[in-house]
Amino acid sequence: MSDVIKLEKLPEKAIIPLRQHDGIGCAPLVKKGDEVIVGQKIGECEGSELAYIHSPFCGTVASIEMMPNPGGKRILSVVLTPAECVQSVEFVPEKNAPPSRLIEIIKEAGVVEYYEKPTYLALKPGKRIDTLVMNATFPLITHAYLDSLDKVLGGFRLMLEAGGIDRGVIIVRADDKESLAAFKNITFEGKPLTVAPLIGKRHADYYFEDTGEEIIVLAGGKITYTPTMMNLLSADVMGRKIPLGREPADAHVVVCGVKSAKAVYDAVYEGKPYLENAVTVTGAVNNPRTVFVRFGTPIKDVIEACGGYKGEPGKLVVNGSMGGVAVYTDAAPVVKNTTGIVVQAKDEVVRDEAIACIHCARCVDACPMNLLPTRIASYSDLGRYEECEQLYAMNCIECGACAVVCPSKRHLLQLIRYSKLQIHNMCAAEAEEATK
Amino acid sequence: MTFTISPPPHIKEGVSVKSLMWSRFIVLLPVCLASIYLFGTPAIVNLLAGVLGAVFIELAIEKTFKQKVTISDGNAAYLGLLIALMVPPSVPFWIPFIASVFGVGVVKHAFGGLGSYMFHPALAAWVFLKLSWGSTFMVPASIPQLGGLSDLILEKGAGFLVDASPIAMIGVLYLIARKYIEWRIPFTYLLTTVVLVILLGDPLSYVFTGSFLLGVFFIATETSTSPITRSGRIFYGIACGFLTVIYGYYTGNYIEGTFYGLLLANAISPLIERSTLPKPFGGVEA
Repeated sequence: MSDVIKLEKLPEKAIIPLRQHDGIGCAPLVKKGDEVIVGQKIGECEGSELAYIHSPFCGTVASIEMMPNPGGKRILSVVLTPAECVQSVEFVPEKNAPPSRLIEIIKEAGVVEYYEKPTYLALKPGKRIDTLVMNATFPLITHAYLDSLDKVLGGFRLMLEAGGIDRGVIIVRADDKESLAAFKNITFEGKPLTVAPLIGKRHADYYFEDTGEEIIVLAGGKITYTPTMMNLLSADVMGRKIPLGREPADAHVVVCGVKSAKAVYDAVYEGKPYLENAVTVTGAVNNPRTVFVRFGTPIKDVIEACGGYKGEPGKLVVNGSMGGVAVYTDAAPVVKNTTGIVVQAKDEVVRDEAIACIHCARCVDACPMNLLPTRIASYSDLGRYEECEQLYAMNCIECGACAVVCPSKRHLLQLIRYSKLQIHNMCAAEAEEATK
Repeated sequence: MTFTISPPPHIKEGVSVKSLMWSRFIVLLPVCLASIYLFGTPAIVNLLAGVLGAVFIELAIEKTFKQKVTISDGNAAYLGLLIALMVPPSVPFWIPFIASVFGVGVVKHAFGGLGSYMFHPALAAWVFLKLSWGSTFMVPASIPQLGGLSDLILEKGAGFLVDASPIAMIGVLYLIARKYIEWRIPFTYLLTTVVLVILLGDPLSYVFTGSFLLGVFFIATETSTSPITRSGRIFYGIACGFLTVIYGYYTGNYIEGTFYGLLLANAISPLIERSTLPKPFGGVEA
């Protein structure tokens, strides 16, 4: 069992951003000097894409101001001075709720998926959905929830009910033996789960027909599907490749995370809003481990719980070395979509100078989406975004594999991202033109 | 406490252009040693002249145009070594020197430097020599052919310097295993050539010379002059094989066939790349 702890120590101050998902920010419900208690709703918003913010701490509001965020930008946040008290709002568990009520509960609890979409919206995209895929391919995060696996599965069942979805797939990395063993040993709803490998053309549909069960566990490849890799996930697990410019929901697939399943369980059966989740800390710290952290806890305190920095830190990366954001301060808080923190020592920080492309095609071989990263990046560098579009730049899942293998150390991912943004802007401008 | 910020990815593989070029250079050194053993001082002088010529002209051009000096990336030294290996041992030292100056100065730098040339500088330099001194210096004392197994290790029949010992290039397999050199092109090139030669009834011993293997493993796999698409690289290997065998079959000289065939293959490489652009993942909706 990997090293998992719960961070009990209260931080000096907690920074709770009022926007922790991809959508509209919330308006604060509290003002400076107010006393708040655990579970109290402190941010409410109106509109279509929303996720309410609750206070995971009991304490006093010190200020409401723009504060650093792991996303890199400053965001309006409620700054709390936590106090040693256990007072909380009354958590009302609800049993046997109908699906419409379940969606309501999930929405109230402010559950957000690992890819920054509020769960209640993810489950009800307004399209025909036949399968819910739980992405359990972050090994350390999955390990942290193995103790409460029955709750995760319970939450998964609730999500299926809430979304009116018939079938559920849990996808685990094939080399994550510990999680696979745990899934094999558990009995859920009175019977053991089916654990099967994804081989060749045997996708989830094959096993559903074969076993006749509603929830199955599949061992995928050795890929961790990060938030931008939804299309690849759908293709690998369901055998459904998503056409350019579409999302998994168009292929009747919805994706959720392990954390949100647990959060849904807590919200329904314990009445708790989404207040904490597991964060893995790796790299140059003294005790790399997984920590259960309440939202709003500064990264500094999480690092302290892992024994502090080992040597002088050079870079602090949130959400993975491949596609994560390097934050400029460790005062930034842990938020709902924070999955992992990587600390790089000063001498580990990559410092390279980009030189000319030698057309070695290593990026082409590395690309999981069958693109030509070097060509897209070159056109992007020249400002020729139409050509980028013709090379299907929009299909890029931003995994960063191309930039990792590049011997010329070109900033491939950055250039491709920029071209995607420009293509997006061009399309938006065209659409605006058309409506005039 | 200060933290570095940068766009992702935050980890990178250790391989660089420098390591790619110098590893190729090092893998060619055993052949050089074999040729020095066989031909003595003229071989040493020729090899040095080739490398120095390439490095000299690169330095001169970059200094003149106030560009960043890129000698240490090894590309010029590697090209110079290749050029020197592609001349007979009997030529005066200024032949490989001039060839290197032409290859690196005109074919590499006039076309834009590293990564931008459309023909392999070493091939173009060889053709330049062939056109200029084709009947005097560039005629090897004999055309090497594989007599027995011992010829694979040390080929006593004079040819070009690289023909001294085909087996000495075995290190290239390590580079392929490390993915420093692409495997699709040499594999399909070798396969196509062998199949065609057997079909046409020529003895394989004409084909397996040091020059041919140099072409297969080092010249055909030059990254700037081969397609980048996956299927394109396979077609390119096949095209190289076809062109080599066509020339070799009608002239009986597979060494020249290799070099002229590769030059033509370089010319059609952009066409192959454009016609094998990958299809989008999941298709495009009509």
